[in-house]
Amino acid sequence: MNHSAFLRAMTDDHSNPSCPIKLAHGTTTLAFRFQGGIIVCTDSRATAGSWIASQTVKKVIPVSRLSRGEDKASDKPTPGLLGTMAGGAADCQYWLRYLSQQCTLHEIRHKRRITVAAASKILANLTYAYKGYGLSMGTMLAGMTPQEGPALYYIDSDGTRLPGNMFCVGSGQTFAYGVLDANYRYDLSEKEALDLGRRAILAAMHRDAYSGGFINCYHVKEEGWVHHGFDDMNPIFWKTKLDHGEFSNVTSQL
Amino acid sequence: MRGPTILKAEDDKTKQLNKSTLMAFSGEAGDTVQFAEFIQANIQLYSMRNDTELSPAAVANFVRGELARSLRSRSPYTVNLLLGGVDPISEKPHLYWLDYLASLAEVPYAAHGYAQYYCLSLLDKHHHPEISLDEGLKLLDMCTDELKRRLPIDFKGVLVKVVTKDGVQVVDFDNDKIVRPA
Amino acid sequence: MTSLMGHPSGQTVGYSFSQPTAAPVKEHSFYPYTDNGGSTLGITGSDFAILAGDTRSTSGYSINSRMVPKVFKIGGDDETGKGAHILLSVVGFAADGNALKERLDAVVKMYKYQHGKSMSVTACAQRLSTILYGKRFFPYYVHVILAGLDEEGKGALYSYDPVGSYEREECRAAGAASSLIMPFLDNQVKFKNQYVPGSGEGHALQPKKAEPLPRETVEQLVRDAFTSAVERHIEVGDNLQMMIITRDGIEEIFHPLKKD
Repeated sequence: MNHSAFLRAMTDDHSNPSCPIKLAHGTTTLAFRFQGGIIVCTDSRATAGSWIASQTVKKVIPVSRLSRGEDKASDKPTPGLLGTMAGGAADCQYWLRYLSQQCTLHEIRHKRRITVAAASKILANLTYAYKGYGLSMGTMLAGMTPQEGPALYYIDSDGTRLPGNMFCVGSGQTFAYGVLDANYRYDLSEKEALDLGRRAILAAMHRDAYSGGFINCYHVKEEGWVHHGFDDMNPIFWKTKLDHGEFSNVTSQL
Repeated sequence: MRGPTILKAEDDKTKQLNKSTLMAFSGEAGDTVQFAEFIQANIQLYSMRNDTELSPAAVANFVRGELARSLRSRSPYTVNLLLGGVDPISEKPHLYWLDYLASLAEVPYAAHGYAQYYCLSLLDKHHHPEISLDEGLKLLDMCTDELKRRLPIDFKGVLVKVVTKDGVQVVDFDNDKIVRPA
Repeated sequence: MTSLMGHPSGQTVGYSFSQPTAAPVKEHSFYPYTDNGGSTLGITGSDFAILAGDTRSTSGYSINSRMVPKVFKIGGDDETGKGAHILLSVVGFAADGNALKERLDAVVKMYKYQHGKSMSVTACAQRLSTILYGKRFFPYYVHVILAGLDEEGKGALYSYDPVGSYEREECRAAGAASSLIMPFLDNQVKFKNQYVPGSGEGHALQPKKAEPLPRETVEQLVRDAFTSAVERHIEVGDNLQMMIITRDGIEEIFHPLKKD
């Protein structure tokens, strides 16, 4: 038995549901570019098979900051990139941290911040080097630099790297795309964009059992990123339903 | 479809069962039309014998029963169904979702196959109980647009029929609109 | 026709490969893991953290030992663990768990010798993650929880998956009975699905806000969690080991559980 086949036998719960080592999987994450920058939204559920391992995962990971402090919500923007996490939780956490180091080194060596294009290329080259070893990650890198303006890239463990305006990643991606595509415009206002991002995540949480928990929202603008809350989906769902008459498939009748 | 070839681009995958009940079907080639025609014939037979129309609820439960019976036979029908109708007495519309395992559910909106993954979130957001025919067609437009945009296979369009208390009509639908990804 | 070996003619004796002489080639595989059962749990308070675990060690339906502790002091001055300021609990494959504990203990000690100060819990938490990920392609078959006090003196708890994804939490159950204990903790520690009585009806009901619990309450919750888990899980039982870390040090308490 070769190395990666062994690992698959031990850890891959899709081909082997009774495997001994369950890894965290399943997600909805999205990011899109608009007139005011980039919106990044995620759910917060981690699953191992059908067991909900956590409902409070932070799937947006700040990358490239010289002062890497606690991630507190504030109105003051923090400079740097944002990465999102879908697939293996450990793979994403570890390699985005590695990317963070590389970005910091770039800042020290070149006296300027790394471009999103360059950062995403570091990650894509990395995942391509590990292709076939069983890494599982679907990540988006969002940032704003003087050279590029707002920039968004999709990178996954196959080695794919794509620039784009809008991506949804994870088991709930199709549901998020449904809402996002229908209501997306480039000239959305900041509030409209944040609300659309949240609504798309809510849609995915409602239809995809592997997504749920809290809605995590970030806005990337010129001066850096701003955190816009980590909010329990349940009250948001009922507010959306009762105030706007949506989700008419949920009824009080039995 | 036969292997990788499209045999017919505009195939009607619906059957009218009685005056105000319409059934849409998909699934295994051969099974679909056989089963649909069998159901259609039996519902028509009922209408002739009893000189009355079965309500959509009654039709749905009859179809479910036939699917459940077939499921336990040597060669079950592999057919997924959507059944829409207007109750001739209460004049209220009903929609039923049935799959080949004979699950039955009454729902306000539904889809089968991959379309579920792309359209249900849209329907969750934009459907409401007092939706008008015009709004409904607009919502259908949003759904087909999304399928054109995101479905990996080339989507050949839809045939649209509307069921009212007065019967079933075909609605003109523009399938040639080109949708570009955002 | 005569045969020199007394075998009837026409029958092969086994010197030829014309007929199979051995059973078809069987693929043998080495399975390097076993599950030693048991359960652990951790809860934090405003100025303390508790890590607890049962002391039963099993393999399959056999009980190998009734006294194999799962909670360890990390970075102590001697083998008694005196002077330690970090707790680690390991559940899953005991051999991997021991190896991991030894390794983290060494790392924390080396940090102290090299930097002349003890490692912060935040740093130790990140280091543990890297250690686990270092074996990404041949993982430690363990669920670990790390506990200590943070820079502000508040209780800190970090939970991990086998390959090192981690998160700071207020409470976490791991191991065999985690699916029994975790929902109990969500309700009793985080007050999930609890509402303020009389605050309204239906959607107007106000959720009860979670606040750090006092030590006595938490200790009682831990005991309740384990006595209940013992009733419904065969791999949990014998003794409950609790370690409580406060600014005054680490306290270890043993509490008997059912032995069947």
